[in-house]
Amino acid sequence: MSPSEPAIQVAGFTKRYGKRLAADGLALTVQRGEIYGLVGADGAGKSSLMKAIAGVLSFDGGTVDVFGSRIDSARAAEKVKDRIGFLPQGLGLNLYPDLSIDENVDFFGRLRLVPGRELAERKRLLLEMTRLDAFRDRPMRQLSGGMKQKLGLVCTLIHEPDLVILDEPTTGVDPVSRRDFWAILGKLLEEKGITALVSTAYLDEADRFHRVSLFHEGKVMGEGTPAELVARVPGTLALFRAEPQATALPRLKAAFPQTEAMGSWLRVFADGLDAAGARAGIDAALAGIPATDWFAREPELEDVFVAMLRQRGARLDTQLQDDDAPRPLATSQTPALAIEARDLTRVFGDFRAADAVNFSVPQGEIFGLLGANGAGKTTVIKMLTGILKPSSGSGRVAGADMRSAGLAIKERIGYMSQAFSLYHDLSVVENIRLYAGIYGLDDRQGKRRADWVIGMAGLAGFENDAAGRLPMGLRQRLALGCALVHRPQVLFLDEPTSGVDPIGRRVFWDILFHLSRNDGVAILVTTHYMSEAEHCDHLALMFAGKVVADASPEAMKAAVAREAGQLLELRVDRPAPAQAALRAAGYASAALHGRAVHLLSKDVDGDRTRLPALLASAGVAVQSVVLRPLSMEDVFVQRVTALEDAQRRTP
Amino acid sequence: MKNGFFSLAGLRRLRVMTWKELLQLFRDTALMVFFLYSFTGDIYIAASGVSMQLKNAAIATLDGDRSDASRELLSRFQPPYFRPIGELAAARDSITLLDDAGAMAVLDIPPRFQERLQRGEQVSVQLQVDTTNSVLGFLASSYGAQIVGKYGLEAAARREGLGGMAGPVLQADTRIWYNPNQNDAWFMGISELLTVVTLFAILLPAAAMVREKERGTIEQLMVTPLSAFQILFPKVIAMTLVILGGSAIALFGILGPVFHVPMRGSLLTFFLITALYVFTTAGLGLLAATVARNLAQVGMLTVVILMPMLLLSGAWTPPEAMPDWMRILAYISPLHYFLDAAYGILLKGAGMDLLWDSVLAMATLGVCVFALGMGRFGRQFG
Repeated sequence: MSPSEPAIQVAGFTKRYGKRLAADGLALTVQRGEIYGLVGADGAGKSSLMKAIAGVLSFDGGTVDVFGSRIDSARAAEKVKDRIGFLPQGLGLNLYPDLSIDENVDFFGRLRLVPGRELAERKRLLLEMTRLDAFRDRPMRQLSGGMKQKLGLVCTLIHEPDLVILDEPTTGVDPVSRRDFWAILGKLLEEKGITALVSTAYLDEADRFHRVSLFHEGKVMGEGTPAELVARVPGTLALFRAEPQATALPRLKAAFPQTEAMGSWLRVFADGLDAAGARAGIDAALAGIPATDWFAREPELEDVFVAMLRQRGARLDTQLQDDDAPRPLATSQTPALAIEARDLTRVFGDFRAADAVNFSVPQGEIFGLLGANGAGKTTVIKMLTGILKPSSGSGRVAGADMRSAGLAIKERIGYMSQAFSLYHDLSVVENIRLYAGIYGLDDRQGKRRADWVIGMAGLAGFENDAAGRLPMGLRQRLALGCALVHRPQVLFLDEPTSGVDPIGRRVFWDILFHLSRNDGVAILVTTHYMSEAEHCDHLALMFAGKVVADASPEAMKAAVAREAGQLLELRVDRPAPAQAALRAAGYASAALHGRAVHLLSKDVDGDRTRLPALLASAGVAVQSVVLRPLSMEDVFVQRVTALEDAQRRTP
Repeated sequence: MKNGFFSLAGLRRLRVMTWKELLQLFRDTALMVFFLYSFTGDIYIAASGVSMQLKNAAIATLDGDRSDASRELLSRFQPPYFRPIGELAAARDSITLLDDAGAMAVLDIPPRFQERLQRGEQVSVQLQVDTTNSVLGFLASSYGAQIVGKYGLEAAARREGLGGMAGPVLQADTRIWYNPNQNDAWFMGISELLTVVTLFAILLPAAAMVREKERGTIEQLMVTPLSAFQILFPKVIAMTLVILGGSAIALFGILGPVFHVPMRGSLLTFFLITALYVFTTAGLGLLAATVARNLAQVGMLTVVILMPMLLLSGAWTPPEAMPDWMRILAYISPLHYFLDAAYGILLKGAGMDLLWDSVLAMATLGVCVFALGMGRFGRQFG
């Protein structure tokens, strides 16, 4: 076994579950010392491959080699298991809920036969680095999602494996914990020189990896560094405004399928065109509507991924026209405000889950409610939808008072939760007709609305399939259809896109945009995907039960840029020492993104010249310094971290 | 009254929700197999296999006399009640045999048995009985005593020269009503049917409810204009229909054709009372579902609720034979009233004129339990 041998080599990997082909001839090679990413939606085949590499799943075809040993039997897998750490999918599923942090780590250490003194030393180091050392005696079940994942990582690393396999370690974890997790992982890998195979459903996390494989429906769509993958589909990403947006959008879509509305902005991926070509093409498509506030830049991985899928025949269009008579209540007599929360408070014992929450959502607006796990988003939604009584405060939803007219509200709102609460054993049509009946529609109306939902959600041909057997994207749109069956004026969506692939998410947001602009539906949505927050017209950020920021996405970004600085990306030859040197020089925000370092700069022009010199003295060569637009994730992390620090200072 | 229960929209809601429950139930293959087995195979086994009568009890003998008299006494222990398995060599073998359950009883006839009988002396024979199963043990010892007693009387009469039974002998003249052949299959079959009805009346609504909790669909229902009652009641209607169907299969497919259970009263009354009983008991199931978090817990709770209901119902022991405090509990077990009514209709041909008090008690209990379940549900999700 030579040291240059790849850590993992997979060829022709095939896995079936009954009739379903989960992995179809996958191939990839992971070099030693790499952070290698498997990026794709639920059911794309990532978990099957990872389990096979970890030696815990048999497969139907192909070869898997780990450190030069062929994994073809349980016995062969035993030989390399000592050198592997595996963190399965699901928050804390490999841990024991009733054991404390200490006991969990000790258990995994002893299981791996780590000698006592070494175990104690490693445990101390790892718990310190993950900032879990303050909670050593707390049972695992009382930890937050982010802490559980960090503990899972510690338990996976306790025997110092040469290869760690982490299956969706950041799913269901809020952006701040997620960023923490990546920082710790990067540092550990750098120090120990181990190899990591990590999967994620978030495409915007792809730049955390050295190299990635893009997964889609059991196949690898592309492999390479994130930059190589982006370069594979040449094109320009254009951001601009064009009013009226609702007219501009269909015109653009006809020419550029990858057109999206993001709040008041339009976002177009013009594949195959350079900046000038994109401008000309978009102007032509707009046919007279002027494009203002124009920006053109290189596309993101998600744009490229969608373009690849489109080249393979994926479709982005839906059938949205609504032939029914105009919605009875969306007329001029409808109040302008669809949702109004005034000092909404809910107390559980001595815990204030929601604390004097104020915001308002006009008709036709998409309103995003953001916040870490436990910030109070779900409590607010539950109060507004009438599932939970507020302890104090008041609210009006769809023109009815929350306290006195709960039933009227329930008739006028639609609700869709993160679990897509459909009846899995009922067929598509049965689910729709059930909700039509629940909302009091008669058979004729029910049938018409069922036809509308099937067209809108692209479910034609699946009418009699059980809902549980649909792919995630379709299931999600069916759930949306069920929530819309009675033409509500207000729609509540609680994390509606977990686990859905990028195409599905795009189509979904197209539908939401159409509903808000053409039908005047007010939409309140919570999401963990910060890239989706950019679709909203308005955002409210919650922290510890309070709304701490309430503005449009741009205003939020502008405020962070003013207070904390703009985002600089440094491409360097040795990222980890570069990050350490930058932190030492006072750039606390320096974070690793694959081979690049991101930081916030208040003096962009000065730092462009200052930073390469600073890093040169630390022995790091800077290849480029690029100004990048702040993402909502940057805004979220910046805001929440500042609030957490403030909270820590004044306990 | 746009949302009233009896408005057009209210009835439509009831209809679609009930239909949904039926669809879900029929698509749950495992549950349906269990359901069909319980209403057919299980009842068949209970009716044909379980007997409360003494049949073919193995009896060993220890004949210390070896005379005509002893042989005659021994020959009276015959099928269908007893099955002689032979003679023991030594007295100490008898207890070993009982320990091993090789025999249920041992009859020990002392030496000089015939001689003493003829002399008119009092003679004892010993019957050792294994009463591990107290019912069968009791029957074996009393049948044994009867046989020996009768033999003794005859021997005495013979000695006095009275051929046959001419003396002043009291003859008990028993009339056996309702089940003239004392056919256990009738009692056991019906009692098993009622048990199975009870089991599913608790299990089905509880399982349906907890499944909604597990999948999160309950939250979805809570944001629709459905009231707690409109969510819970369709489950009860659907499960009642299904259980009535199961009972019909058991009655007309097993108990009637195979065991010839007479159905003397009005079957309509029987099914109406069964429906009322299922509704009553479903309230308990829903109550259990508000406590349970998953299907496994529902299973355990069903056992916890079912066992005392069965034991206290009077199915095995009439309440009159229970300790006082337990008798009171029996009166709040809905199964107690259901048993009364079901045996009454099927075996005695009773009608509502006789059963109204049981029905009234059952309805009262049902409303209370259902209201309790609704209340808990409302607090949990309201």
